[in-house]
Amino acid sequence: MSSTPSIVFKDTVAFSNRTIELFNEQRQSIIRHTSRLFSWLMIFQWFFAVGLAIWLSPRTWAGMDSRIHPHVWFAIVLGGIITSLPVYMARKYPGETLTRHTVAVGQMLMSGLLIHLTGGRIETHFHVFGSLAILAFYRDWKVLLSATVVVCADHLLRGYFWPQSVYGTLEAPIWRSFEHAGWVLFEVVFLIIAIRKSVSEMLLVAERQAKQEEMNEIIERTVAERTVELTRENAERRKSEARLAHSQQIARLGSWEWDIVNNKVTWSDETRRLYGWRPEDVEFSMDTCLERVHPDDVKKVKDGLAEAMRTRQPFRTEHRVVLPDGVQRIMSGRAEIVANESGESVKMVGTVQDVTDLKQTEQALRQSEDRLMQAQKMEAVGRLAGGVAHDFNNILTVIGGYCSMSLQTLDKTSPLQKNIAEIQNASDRAASLTRQLLAFSRKQVLQPQVLQLNDVVHNMEKMLRRLIGEDIELSIAFDSSLGRVKADPGQLEQVIMNLSVNARDAMPRGGKLTIGTSNVVIDQKLKFRNRTLEVGEYVLLSITDNGVGMTDEVKTHLFEPFYTTKGLGKGTGLGLATCYGIISQSGGDIHVYSEANSGTTFKIYLPRTDALAEAAAVADASVMPAGNESILIVEDDPAVRRLAVVILGNSGYKIQESNNAFEALTLIRRNPGFDLVLTDVIMPQMSGKELSDKIKAQCPHTKILLMSGYTDDALAHHGVLDEGLLFLEKPFSPVKLTRKVREVLDAHSSTEMLRKNGGKLQPS
Amino acid sequence: MTKLLLRRTGLYALWLFAIGAGIVIVLNYENARGSAGSAPSQWISGTSISLDPTRDTLIMFAHPRCPCTRASLGELNRLLAQSDGRIAAHVLFFRPPNYPANWTHTESWQTAAAIPGVSVQEDMNDALARKFGAETSGYVLFYNPQGRLLFRGGITESRGHAGDNAGESAIISLALGKSTAVTQTPVYGCSLLEETNSQATAAQ
Repeated sequence: MSSTPSIVFKDTVAFSNRTIELFNEQRQSIIRHTSRLFSWLMIFQWFFAVGLAIWLSPRTWAGMDSRIHPHVWFAIVLGGIITSLPVYMARKYPGETLTRHTVAVGQMLMSGLLIHLTGGRIETHFHVFGSLAILAFYRDWKVLLSATVVVCADHLLRGYFWPQSVYGTLEAPIWRSFEHAGWVLFEVVFLIIAIRKSVSEMLLVAERQAKQEEMNEIIERTVAERTVELTRENAERRKSEARLAHSQQIARLGSWEWDIVNNKVTWSDETRRLYGWRPEDVEFSMDTCLERVHPDDVKKVKDGLAEAMRTRQPFRTEHRVVLPDGVQRIMSGRAEIVANESGESVKMVGTVQDVTDLKQTEQALRQSEDRLMQAQKMEAVGRLAGGVAHDFNNILTVIGGYCSMSLQTLDKTSPLQKNIAEIQNASDRAASLTRQLLAFSRKQVLQPQVLQLNDVVHNMEKMLRRLIGEDIELSIAFDSSLGRVKADPGQLEQVIMNLSVNARDAMPRGGKLTIGTSNVVIDQKLKFRNRTLEVGEYVLLSITDNGVGMTDEVKTHLFEPFYTTKGLGKGTGLGLATCYGIISQSGGDIHVYSEANSGTTFKIYLPRTDALAEAAAVADASVMPAGNESILIVEDDPAVRRLAVVILGNSGYKIQESNNAFEALTLIRRNPGFDLVLTDVIMPQMSGKELSDKIKAQCPHTKILLMSGYTDDALAHHGVLDEGLLFLEKPFSPVKLTRKVREVLDAHSSTEMLRKNGGKLQPS
Repeated sequence: MTKLLLRRTGLYALWLFAIGAGIVIVLNYENARGSAGSAPSQWISGTSISLDPTRDTLIMFAHPRCPCTRASLGELNRLLAQSDGRIAAHVLFFRPPNYPANWTHTESWQTAAAIPGVSVQEDMNDALARKFGAETSGYVLFYNPQGRLLFRGGITESRGHAGDNAGESAIISLALGKSTAVTQTPVYGCSLLEETNSQATAAQ
């Protein structure tokens, strides 16, 4: 802010000069004005003199003869001569010194003429005094002197040369001339005093005007400075407003104000954008504003406003807004009541912020947290399952293996056949359960291959029809141009079967089960809705039933392990958890869409691959191939080791066995000619993978087959078997074992095996 | 500049010369004395006016239409006012023959008639003027009660010019019984006679 201007004249010389300049301007103006006044006055006087002469003495007589009186001619001619030069000068050069002196002389002469024309009337002499007073208008005492000189000269000259014309006597003393002039001087003296006073006042006025100008200049300069300052402040304010508006736009934060008395709501640009109002919309009533609020949230907002007005506490709200294009956004509003001096609520001032992204992020975070918790839970279960599976699969291998051998050796009519078969079935179910435990906890070893999903479903069609029963119609809709996926076909079959069983259970009175496949492209827009999937091409497998559907509560816990709605003893709670685990482990995702009494659709997304599909190996499942090669069996579990020794020994192979890796390495050093090393993966001191690496280093031609029920990431990354490894999953049957061994031995090299199986060995 | 100065100087010289010349003409005119005939030194009896035996008698001859006479009448008024009633005044206005009375009864007549103690009469065809030797309007004769002429001439300082003058002062002095050296003054005014007569009888 500028300080109040004070009048400080820095340059007194300039001020004095300006004062004089103004004084002279004023004086010149007066002089010019007075000259113009006299120009008219003298013309008027001339006409007056002529008129006076015509009136008073129009004619002169001699007896009965008459002629125009000489006074008339004197008035016309002499009056004209007297008037001419002063009027000319006053008109032409009104400001010149000579002009006003000429006027003074002329005016005095005109006085003399008028006095003569009126016969020397004493009253006419007042014209002299009046003229002097008017001449004083010039504010120039010298002019009065000129006039006085004329008067005095007139009296002196005439008093001297024609005293009778002045004093009525033929002779008169000189002092009489001074007496007459004295009265003129008397007036002139006072007129001069008045002129000096007037000039003094003019100087004072000029000085004041100079001061006024100085002050005006200071004020104008101050105004100019202030204007510049205001302009700058306005520009800064506009910038600030622009920054604020930009900030509001970035933060999606707008402001608003509600005039409660007049029920008018006004808003900032960002608020207008957030609520989808048009630029020409400048104010609405509150009810009109609330039309944008989601119908389900209107009551909440109104109640909040009423509560804030009642309690005069800050207003807080979170509500949805439905924009004209139907898009919904979530707004967070805050406001405070403004009261007048009487304490009445007159205004509400607030902000509103679009928190949709925040809310979605929060929701995603919650989902992530849920997933994390789920993952942690799965990890715990997986660790448990993995720990159990290793030993459990060994046990089941032994049980199943001996059952299988017993059934082969026993006579078909033996009563033990049935018992042993039951034991084997129980063993298989236990193995399945173990597999599922590993599956949902994603600890199983996947052996994916490029496949056509339509083929997988097609191969399962008969089995599925038997599984769901006759009351349920199975409809299959394949996309003929379906892309390929890379997945473990056995696990996929497990998923399809689990979901089909669930669908069957959801349709106790029959219904329709639809399995369909299609290609799907997840773009950014779809990614926004399907947050778990990355952008890309997918193959979609959908399994839909029109059964009882699910509630939201059920959907929330759907994929949790051990969660079941089938009642105690009817479900393990592992089916969907297993599906979820398999699909997630395969790089896909599974979504469920369901409403109570409207059916359920599971959508399984698997990443599409451009690799060629691999041909499935076809072999007779009952034949146990034989051989005579030398095989070293390394297994820390003696029961499993003995089983393997028996099975392979019965098949003609030359067997040596070892219960640990170090012993196995010793045996190999002694006899480096083993054709195959069949080794467990998880062993104390040294794992099967380490052993494999050392054998490859010592005996590159020795083939190695790994076997395990649970690898504990020793062989796999994220459940997928490492490149170049041949693997036999526990529990295995004698047939599986002999076939896998024969297959490995028959392959000319590991590379050939890999080529044959697309980098992985088919699980036996 | 010089040219302007010269031009102005010439202009002012011309102006002043013209004015000077004009003033000279005016003064010459103003101071041009009127003619006067020979005034009888003793009162002429048997006329329409009579001598006042108790006080001085003043006779003024006037042209009823002469503008200059207004000044003479004005001075007469002042004179009578100062004489304190010691003067019997007569103003005789020229009336041409065959002219109606209203030719004579002008403003000057009214003015004279309005002066207290003044007797106004017509002087048909200048009959009395001729007898008393009056040829110029404003001509005054002043007689004492015994009929002796004490003063003759005008009572204005110049033609048609009011104000103190020697004639007026002399008459007042005489009326008040004082002595005065002035017994005769010039008279300024229109001629009472025709132009030709006037020139023929011009005095002094």
